[in-house]
Amino acid sequence: MRSHCLDNSFQPSPRGCNAAMLSFLSLLFFNLLITFTAAGQDYYERLLLRPLPQSALLASFNFRSNESSASFDQQNFRYFPRSLGQILQHARTKELHLRFSLGRWDAESWGQRPWDGAREGGTGVELWAWLEAQSEEEAFSRWLTLTNALSGLFCASLNFIDATKTIRPVMSFQPEGDHHNSSNLHLLHGTLPHEVVCTENLTPFLKLLPCKGKAGVSSLLDGHKLFDASWQTMSIDVRPVCGKDGADCVLEMEQSVDMVLDIDRSRRPRDNPIPRPLPIEEIACDTSKHYNAEDTCYPLHKSAEPGWNLTEIFGRPLKGACPLTDGDGEGANTVCINTPPERIIQANTTGQYLETWIASDTVRCYKLPTGSDFDLNLPEQEMTTGLILATPPLFAARSINGHGQERGSIQAIIRNPSATDAVEFVYLESLPWFMKPYLHTLRARVDTTSTNPIQETYYRPAVDRARGTHLELRMLIPASSTLTLTYDFEKAILRYTEYPPDANRGFDVAPAVLKLLSSQSSLGDNKGVYLRTTSLLLPLPTPDFSMPYNVIILTSTVMALGFGNIFNLLVRRFVGAEEVMALGAGGLRGVVAARVAAMRTRLLGR
Amino acid sequence: MRCQQLSTPRRRHHRKMPPSTQVDALSTPTRAPDGSETAANAAEGAPARRQPPPESNESMWTRRAVIFSFWAVVVFLGLPVWWKTTAIYRADLPLQAMTDWADGKICKPVFPLRIAVEASALQSPDAQHLIRTTQHALDDLNEFSAHHLRLMLADSPWTANLSQQVVSDGLRISGKDEDIALTIRLVPVETGTTPRSHLQQYAPTLDVYYAANQIPPASSTSSPLATFIAHELHKMFAEEQAQLAYLLSTTSSAHSAKIKSLSPETAAELERQSTRALKYAPTYHLTFSLFSPTFVPSAWEIESALQQYLAPLLESFSSISNFTVDSQVQLYAGFSPSIRQPEYDETLNAWTLRKEDLSGFINAAEWPLSPSIGIGPTVNFVLYVPDQSQSPLLVKENGGNSWLIPQWGGVLILNPAQAANTANTPTTLTREALAPAMHTFANQLLSLLGLPQTPNSLPLRLSTLKRVRAASLLFSASSTLGALARLTRALPSIPIPDKVAISVDFTTDHLQQACNNLREGRFQGALEHARIAEAEAEKAFFERSMVGQVYFPDEHKAAVYLPLMGPVAVPLLMAALKEFKGLSARRRG
Repeated sequence: MRSHCLDNSFQPSPRGCNAAMLSFLSLLFFNLLITFTAAGQDYYERLLLRPLPQSALLASFNFRSNESSASFDQQNFRYFPRSLGQILQHARTKELHLRFSLGRWDAESWGQRPWDGAREGGTGVELWAWLEAQSEEEAFSRWLTLTNALSGLFCASLNFIDATKTIRPVMSFQPEGDHHNSSNLHLLHGTLPHEVVCTENLTPFLKLLPCKGKAGVSSLLDGHKLFDASWQTMSIDVRPVCGKDGADCVLEMEQSVDMVLDIDRSRRPRDNPIPRPLPIEEIACDTSKHYNAEDTCYPLHKSAEPGWNLTEIFGRPLKGACPLTDGDGEGANTVCINTPPERIIQANTTGQYLETWIASDTVRCYKLPTGSDFDLNLPEQEMTTGLILATPPLFAARSINGHGQERGSIQAIIRNPSATDAVEFVYLESLPWFMKPYLHTLRARVDTTSTNPIQETYYRPAVDRARGTHLELRMLIPASSTLTLTYDFEKAILRYTEYPPDANRGFDVAPAVLKLLSSQSSLGDNKGVYLRTTSLLLPLPTPDFSMPYNVIILTSTVMALGFGNIFNLLVRRFVGAEEVMALGAGGLRGVVAARVAAMRTRLLGR
Repeated sequence: MRCQQLSTPRRRHHRKMPPSTQVDALSTPTRAPDGSETAANAAEGAPARRQPPPESNESMWTRRAVIFSFWAVVVFLGLPVWWKTTAIYRADLPLQAMTDWADGKICKPVFPLRIAVEASALQSPDAQHLIRTTQHALDDLNEFSAHHLRLMLADSPWTANLSQQVVSDGLRISGKDEDIALTIRLVPVETGTTPRSHLQQYAPTLDVYYAANQIPPASSTSSPLATFIAHELHKMFAEEQAQLAYLLSTTSSAHSAKIKSLSPETAAELERQSTRALKYAPTYHLTFSLFSPTFVPSAWEIESALQQYLAPLLESFSSISNFTVDSQVQLYAGFSPSIRQPEYDETLNAWTLRKEDLSGFINAAEWPLSPSIGIGPTVNFVLYVPDQSQSPLLVKENGGNSWLIPQWGGVLILNPAQAANTANTPTTLTREALAPAMHTFANQLLSLLGLPQTPNSLPLRLSTLKRVRAASLLFSASSTLGALARLTRALPSIPIPDKVAISVDFTTDHLQQACNNLREGRFQGALEHARIAEAEAEKAFFERSMVGQVYFPDEHKAAVYLPLMGPVAVPLLMAALKEFKGLSARRRG
């Protein structure tokens, strides 16, 4: 029953599919609302909560601060952080996108990605930026300045984004901001799939916010919970936004944190985090089982939505509103929750708050009180209605096939769930130089037609130790069909010093980025719709790391042997074996033999 | 059992070997492993021994030649190649000259200041005489020989008479010369006390008013007017002399003898000033930050405040240093929790911080006061607006609200209730409310830059700063050279690339020019040369490739060399030793 629902690609609430009585409410994309808020105001923040199936909860934090470009140029920073602003000015960066991600978005059960994937990155760190420069060399040197400076700011290994990890995408990324002279702009893109995102990256992220996690929705962000999530992504986007006539430009910085929390896991107390079975009295048992007894129990599937509250889930209370946001209007509703209208939600606070129902009552928004704690409490509840989660436009999975230390192949399976619409998209691969694809083995097949889905190819081959492979494919996938993309590759053998300390773990290959061309973003702006696969782990042949010393010893031994023999042949005097003793040059054995003989004569003589 | 089984096939193998007929000697060693036979032979008695044929002279000489040629290859080819390929490249540095610079043996900086005297109302001989007597009085007053004032008669642009064109004895200088430190304008007056002087605040000009009868007659050697001018000048340059004397005494031992004149109090005060001041840099970054523990005030009119209160000051500094200015607003940023919380003081009617806690006031962990990007130090100015519940916040001991952090910046606590006379903290700080803060910051900036307190004329203070900076740069570049020389001597294993040698040459070149400029009284030029010298010296000292291979342990070298060198060296040495033994034995025998 349950799997049947999954196959139909819509997701009711986890109370299951035992529901002729279950009615579905069409889910309006709440994200749409966010775009209505005017870009003119200086600071804006919002938290959107959306319960997902299997007791998961999506929490999307969004913070936006503006700085007029005049005061940015004069380095008078108000809401824009000075540290980041100076880096951008120093590296002449006009638009910046930085992502820190962890985990995997389970599109099969969670549906469409938040922000249509435009605010998420591949596993690890991903950075792309438009830099102003006269030439490619200048752009690259500024890119290095930028990555080094950001590395210090965010405590991440961004300085390891060098020429081998940098590509210049052609079709996959478009600037989001309004740029005046786009001819001087250079797009550079770098990824660090190996980077482990953790608390040390969150702290500088929070410091960039005007309310610094001390007030407003950012006070919920806690490293323990954020990095314990099933999936999380932190993003920073800086872009210039101009008015209709090209005047009144502001520099907009958008920071967002999206995470999917497991409600059960998050509710575990921090001092007792190990899941233990409940005492049998507290478990609802399936009494129809024949083995059901005092001490044996088959637990019944819980059909009710779990109860939770903000403080429990995030590990800390929400400390009221950040007073820098608008006092009234759309921007004042800083916490929103997207549930069916029947779900009971209690707001707990000592201060004044305001509840607003929007989007056919499927979204409830709260205006937070200033200066006092705020909590949302959702009790455990049997639900009769659920929300339809939007189906993602594409499903993508990628894996490494093959065996052995020499070759392998990549297989990417991309599925279009739509029954009516074909989807055109760009597939971007950024491969490390030591993974050398054979482009002649590149095959793309669609299971429903025999036409080649590849419409355009952009390929820049790798140069050993200088740059990685950059492959961009524009492809078209017909309605309700599956595209399989495969190519073979060869694994290079690295130099001794090029291996990382954990060489046997394997090397991470950056996720592939899919940009949808045909479908318009539901957000109605030029952010685009994106999809990323997971990163891959590529095992490379690893040498024995004591090798250089072995080589030194072995070659030295061989050379010494050869030398010793030749030298001895040249300088030794050769005599007959019987004549050795006469010369008194029997070596060690001669000495021993002489001693023995002397002893013998002494003993026998007596 | 097993040994026998093993040995039998070997023996059989030996027997199967075709007898080597060509050289009998070669076949002998193959039979040697049969130790039992030889041992038995030896045991049976010496008489049965066969004597080997005597070694021919020819083969002896061949052997010696072989050993010698091996040794020759090792010594004359192997060792030099090894030495050459493992040697660290060290460019030649003029170590002695560098040490001499550091010890102050090459350049003894002197500061001859030229002072123009404009005496338009006086006849030329009278003016010359006045200058001579004043110079005489001045020289008597001066205790610090490196710094001396030279009076010169200036051409008055509006009175060009014949005598001035005729006389060209080097004592006259054009009135528009940039290197004139000060212009004295002699103005005859009828009224008021005479002589009296007035120093112009925004021009390097001292107006001296005198009565006509105070001009010294040609016969006299001293006059009240001359003494007055000399005393005025001495007073004006006293602080500069003290600063320079202090600088000379601290930076090099060679000069320490000269500053007997500095009293301990003056020296302590100068030391305080110099530890406070930032190191010289061609560019300073100024960061103005507004911190508040709450969410108000969240805006300030910093742009116009900077424009009005700070821009003119920075402009006047442009000949010495450049400045970049940035500002930020940080909310929810309380001061450091490590210090004692403020206490309420009934008498002051204010919350108070203890003086000893001020050093820990800056919350370095949370306040984003990272240095600005780019070359040059960052000077921070922190404006802290306390919480409404803790306002006004003052320093307990003296009721002040601002303090200076040496070589870092300044802090000011702005209590908005005082400034705006309202109950609530305003959300925006206006330009007027920022005025006292900006004045304080300007003063703090001046002392952070090391500007002297006197005289009360900005151009004069700036030119003093220029001389002090030039001298300090000169000393610092010289001492960097000395340090580099010491480093080169102390660490024989660091490489020295050619770049360093070039930089050192460049530095000494510019140091020499700076020194010459100082001697000739061209202080702007001296400052520029000293600045280049300092930058080059730093570049040479912090050359990146010099630190790369400092440590390469000997055990590592042994581990790499020994597997080859050991087995090769032993036969060579043994053969040589044996040959020497045989040689000496034959000579004896």
